[in-house]
Amino acid sequence: MAIVNTEFIKNISCSGKFNASACMSCGTCTALCPMEINTLPRLMFRHVMLGLESKVIENTENVFSCLLCKMCEESCPSNVHIAENIKCIRQYINQEIFKLGRS
Amino acid sequence: MSTDRKIGVFICHCGGNISDYVDVDKVRDAVEKEPGVSIAKTTMFACSDAAQQEIIEDIRKEGLDGIVVASCSPKLHLLTFRAMAERSGLNPYQYVQVNLREQCSWAHRSDMQSATEKGIHLVRAGIAKAALCDPLTDMRIETIPKVLIIGAGVSGLRAALTLSDLGLAVFLVEKSDRVGGWTGKFGKMFSQNLIGEEVIEKLLGEVKQRENVTLFTSAKLIEKSGRVGDFSVKVQTRNDETISLDVGAIIVATGFDPYQPAEEEFGYGLKGVITLPEFKQLLDGSNGEILYEGRKIRDIVYIYCVGSRQDEDEESSNLYCSRYCCTSAVHTALLAGEKDAGLNQFHLYRDMRTYGKQELIYEEARIEGSVFIKYDDYDLPKVEYIGDKLRVMVNDLLIGGEEVEIDADLVVLVTGMVPRENDELTSILKLPIGLDGFYNEIHPKLRPVETVIDGMYIVGTAQGPKTMAESVASALSGVSKSASLLMKGYVDLEPFIARVNTEQCKWCDKCTEACPYDAIEKIFCEGKEVASIIPSLCKGGGACIPVCPEDAIDLEGYTDAQIKSMIEALVKDEETN
Repeated sequence: MAIVNTEFIKNISCSGKFNASACMSCGTCTALCPMEINTLPRLMFRHVMLGLESKVIENTENVFSCLLCKMCEESCPSNVHIAENIKCIRQYINQEIFKLGRS
Repeated sequence: MSTDRKIGVFICHCGGNISDYVDVDKVRDAVEKEPGVSIAKTTMFACSDAAQQEIIEDIRKEGLDGIVVASCSPKLHLLTFRAMAERSGLNPYQYVQVNLREQCSWAHRSDMQSATEKGIHLVRAGIAKAALCDPLTDMRIETIPKVLIIGAGVSGLRAALTLSDLGLAVFLVEKSDRVGGWTGKFGKMFSQNLIGEEVIEKLLGEVKQRENVTLFTSAKLIEKSGRVGDFSVKVQTRNDETISLDVGAIIVATGFDPYQPAEEEFGYGLKGVITLPEFKQLLDGSNGEILYEGRKIRDIVYIYCVGSRQDEDEESSNLYCSRYCCTSAVHTALLAGEKDAGLNQFHLYRDMRTYGKQELIYEEARIEGSVFIKYDDYDLPKVEYIGDKLRVMVNDLLIGGEEVEIDADLVVLVTGMVPRENDELTSILKLPIGLDGFYNEIHPKLRPVETVIDGMYIVGTAQGPKTMAESVASALSGVSKSASLLMKGYVDLEPFIARVNTEQCKWCDKCTEACPYDAIEKIFCEGKEVASIIPSLCKGGGACIPVCPEDAIDLEGYTDAQIKSMIEALVKDEETN
């Protein structure tokens, strides 16, 4: 059980670059991932959109396993800029979990 | 059985559809000696032009006065062979079709011997009927070039204008005191952002210009009689006046009612839980930020499929999809976002059905930031108050069915369409109602606006849930059916009506009570009171026949003598052949 937090996305999208709302959860990205990271990217983006912060943090390792190869992004039927979004989430985790300064 | 007839029997292979399972040669051998049969043949495709020509030559050469074609279902080729009979000079009603395919070969593929035996019996019954077929003539009825349209919503208005364009007079009867139906109550509607009120205003303006369209508001139909091409109706108007009208066709465009959720269904009844039509009206009335009971709205949760696609195990469920609601909800979310860009909008759906061009509206709603959460058919979202907060709980299938809770300022129940409560009108029109409660068409694909009552058409959402565009298309389809009926000036009806034997009739009145069409009247004949059939009203339903204590009524084309001799032929033993 988790409460949807509509404010959370504002932390992530501080750069204004995060945008996954066009995603229709087709799963093409998950199927194509050469790292076979099944939490990425579709599911991770939904966690962000629903503001499920603990879920986002739970998947820190997955977020950093991404190669940013853009195989998924090339094939996304909804034109979601997946790699950019991953970078946004990394930035958030760097700040909130690893307490790193703004890069 | 009379043996002075000359009957031709033609047994069709249907390529192999029949002859692979029924030994057609054996059938021919078995029936060619039947009394009255002059000629019996098999043919590869009876419906082919060449075969029809051969049959016509046989009819002329042998001087046949009755034919039997044993082939497919009469639904497919009854009219084909009737026309063939007519071309040969034979009365078309002296032709009998035997269904040797759907009701024999296809049904008994595993047992050729039994299929063949059954085929023989079926053909014998056909011959028995043909032997008692008298020549009959179609009844020609002159049609009245006027149409009654019931309901002045977008469908009714659009139909009225187009009929008027075609030169047909229209009586447009609307129950409420204003025209426009549901369309007239809304602002921007998908997919072109047309404003419902303006659409209606424009149509009404045009209708008022037409001399051949008469609009009655606050009026209702109170009586209907007659038949295709020649109906008589009575309309009660605003001042309780009763007006009698004669029309050739009737278009029913009575629309829908929005589904009204039950108390507590998805929290309905709680403050902040409203239906989609209610939300649309709230939205139409707000400028800039959206207020509900004085409070600014920030988080909106839409719950889809309320009143549609309900659980089939529950009593009186609506099993159908209401078609318009998915698109209307995403379109409404876009309009809400235009008014206030700071809104958070969550859509709890089962399957998105923004079909066709409407898919683009769904895509736009996603891009604009609406979040879509899929719930399971058997695991519905719950709505309740936690403290003073309205909260929605749902298991999101897109994150593996995990439960999420959303605090909402407003919960919008995306309600579907239900049949309009119109019992009085339905009983006056005697229109059939489908399992879903909407008026029922004859064929969902090929005859979507026609009903079992000739000359009466159902259009728009009276027939089933539709978008506005689909309703208008359906209305125009009703126009084309009415016009093709009325512009010819006459209609030919099958002569299968009841006939009273006045010698036997003792006028007991039982038949008039049984007839649902008021087609029987009392007349004086040779010094006594007897029943008489009004041909223009009789539909050949046959309700009068079994109630007659004197057996004085018969149905043309299905006489007692014909049916009895068919039964005898069907049960006749092989040995006694």
